[in-house]
Amino acid sequence: MKRCPAEIDAAQQPDLACLQSLLFDEEQGPAELARMYKNEGNEYFRERDYKRAVIAYTEGLKKKCEDPELNAVLHTNRGAAQFYLGNYRSALNDAVQAKKLKPTHLKAIIRGALCHMELKNFSEAIAWCEEGLRIDAKEKKLVEMRAKADKLKRAEERDARKAKVMEKKEQCQKEILLAAIKERNIKLVLEPSNEEEELAHGLAEISLDGFHSDNATGAKVHLDADGNLNWPVLFLYPEHEQTDFIAAFHENSRFIDHLMLMFAELPPWDLERKYLPSNLELYFEDEERAEMYELNPEHTLLQVLQHESQKVIVKPVLLTCTVL
Amino acid sequence: ETETGSGSAAHGPPRAALSELSALLAPAAGEAVRAGAAETALALSGSAAGRRMLAGRPAVVAALLELAAGPCPPAARDALGCLVNVSAEPAAHGPLLAALPTLLGLLPAGPACGVLANLCRERGAARRVLRGLRERGSGLTPLLQALGEPRPPPQLGPLLCNLSQLPEGRRGLLDRSRCSVQRLLPFTQYKDSTVHRRGVVGALRNCCFEAEDHEWLLSEEVDILPFLLLPLAGPEEFPEDEMERLPLDLQYLPQDKQREEEPDIRKMLLEAIMLLTATKPGRHVVRDKGTYVILRELHRCEQEPDVLAACENLIQVLIGDEPGPGMENLLEVKIPEEVEEQLQRGDREEERWRREEEEAGGSTPCPEEPSG
Repeated sequence: MKRCPAEIDAAQQPDLACLQSLLFDEEQGPAELARMYKNEGNEYFRERDYKRAVIAYTEGLKKKCEDPELNAVLHTNRGAAQFYLGNYRSALNDAVQAKKLKPTHLKAIIRGALCHMELKNFSEAIAWCEEGLRIDAKEKKLVEMRAKADKLKRAEERDARKAKVMEKKEQCQKEILLAAIKERNIKLVLEPSNEEEELAHGLAEISLDGFHSDNATGAKVHLDADGNLNWPVLFLYPEHEQTDFIAAFHENSRFIDHLMLMFAELPPWDLERKYLPSNLELYFEDEERAEMYELNPEHTLLQVLQHESQKVIVKPVLLTCTVL
Repeated sequence: ETETGSGSAAHGPPRAALSELSALLAPAAGEAVRAGAAETALALSGSAAGRRMLAGRPAVVAALLELAAGPCPPAARDALGCLVNVSAEPAAHGPLLAALPTLLGLLPAGPACGVLANLCRERGAARRVLRGLRERGSGLTPLLQALGEPRPPPQLGPLLCNLSQLPEGRRGLLDRSRCSVQRLLPFTQYKDSTVHRRGVVGALRNCCFEAEDHEWLLSEEVDILPFLLLPLAGPEEFPEDEMERLPLDLQYLPQDKQREEEPDIRKMLLEAIMLLTATKPGRHVVRDKGTYVILRELHRCEQEPDVLAACENLIQVLIGDEPGPGMENLLEVKIPEEVEEQLQRGDREEERWRREEEEAGGSTPCPEEPSG
């Protein structure tokens, strides 16, 4: 046998169990035992068996020996093993403990700084580097890590600034859009899903977040370069359970123009050949009153939207289309 | 010369009081008496005449220094505070330099930095301080480390600035094996102390005289340019393509971003960038990193004539043609004798003009704020 089995079963390998009990004799002082576990942990570490290394170092720490130096090493080494397992939080905790036990332990400080890098706490990483550089001002790893952390921190700060600017810009555009809608005397209602408190604000201070609620296609009402509104419009054909969707319906286009295009050819589901542009009737629904209003296909979208009973939800304008 | 107007009339005739003072500051006088004497000395150093009197007494300066390094905190604080003021007087430099090891032992405490900053205005004294620091084994390291503290002493900036007037001081700040000049950079935006900020910017400008370090200073490793430009940038918004071409630190600055409010600091920043453009690779990086855009906006709102002139000079370099062969390094270009003479005459005139201005303004020396 060249390698020691990881788990020793006394019944199956009495000789090994005997050796082990010799090695880890309870009569030895806690410091010797802790040192033994440290060496065992180091063996595992060298074999890149980090899980077993963690277990060994933990056993060593459990001995609670009175040698702070040894405990600092146990913590540092366990931290290193945890680090390679990707457990950066645990690794950091060990580095903190090790540093507490031995404030000049450079390896622990480097480990702590590395953990903060992985956890993307760049300011903390810099602080740990500083602490290490106070012990050795030329420690290469720390000099380099500090530079890297500084760079990443500055990049992160820039990203945060950019996000803020973008958010502001978006907010500004929404306000312009809302003003355009108000200017046209179009009545807006909130989506039913919105919070009650937002409903309390009423139409005047409508929550702009409604504009965020993208429908499945991502189409939203928007202002084009000429200052005209374009709306998403959904046509429903209840008779056949079919729909048509127009992502950007120009407010000055007439319904008939769209219908002419949409029904230039008979849709495949219209087996009875009834859906000809001239035959179509269009309705919109006042959801509150549960009433249907017929609209004139010769009218533009804007005219319809300005109808006193039309209330637009910030999702697509819903129209029902049936045949005469 | 009468010195009765020293403002500390409560202490009797100053000359007699001074002899007494040095006796009261000596160890034999006992702790309470020495503390009282230190307090008196501090009050006396508040006036120019008082400073001159104290500085003329080497025994007093030595006794104050001994007290400053002593174990009694209030007396040490008063003694050191007094020394900061007294060190503005050239007469005090002799006795202070004689006790240099004691003084260096007090670093990096703020007042000790202040005393040394005042001393180091003279090149000779700066040289001795640098030698003293080297002999202690650590060089500039303790000063650089103090920069990493949450609240570095504001007098540290002026001290580093004055030390960097010498090549050997610059070498310490430009040590590539450790984090040296990099620690100075964030302080170009330091709002807590104008004194410290001014000193740090001065030190950075001094470092920019080292042409062989330009490439390193502008490289990723140090990345000095954004730190020099950021205080010159305002809240202006740029088109997205222009914005994305700027160094990250200058992108998407908030609406409340303010420019450096001190004109002399703005000027030093511009001069530092100007120095960086003295070499060809330096010019290349400075041009490449959107410097022009920042300066264009600065130029629009700059009110101070000499800052404006510095800004225009720099813009000229940025938009001008590359100089011909043999002239690439502007710091090494041989200047014809007659041109040099002309320039020196101009400098002398400017100096005289400045002196007259100062005298006319009646400005008093400000001991706590040494210039670089």
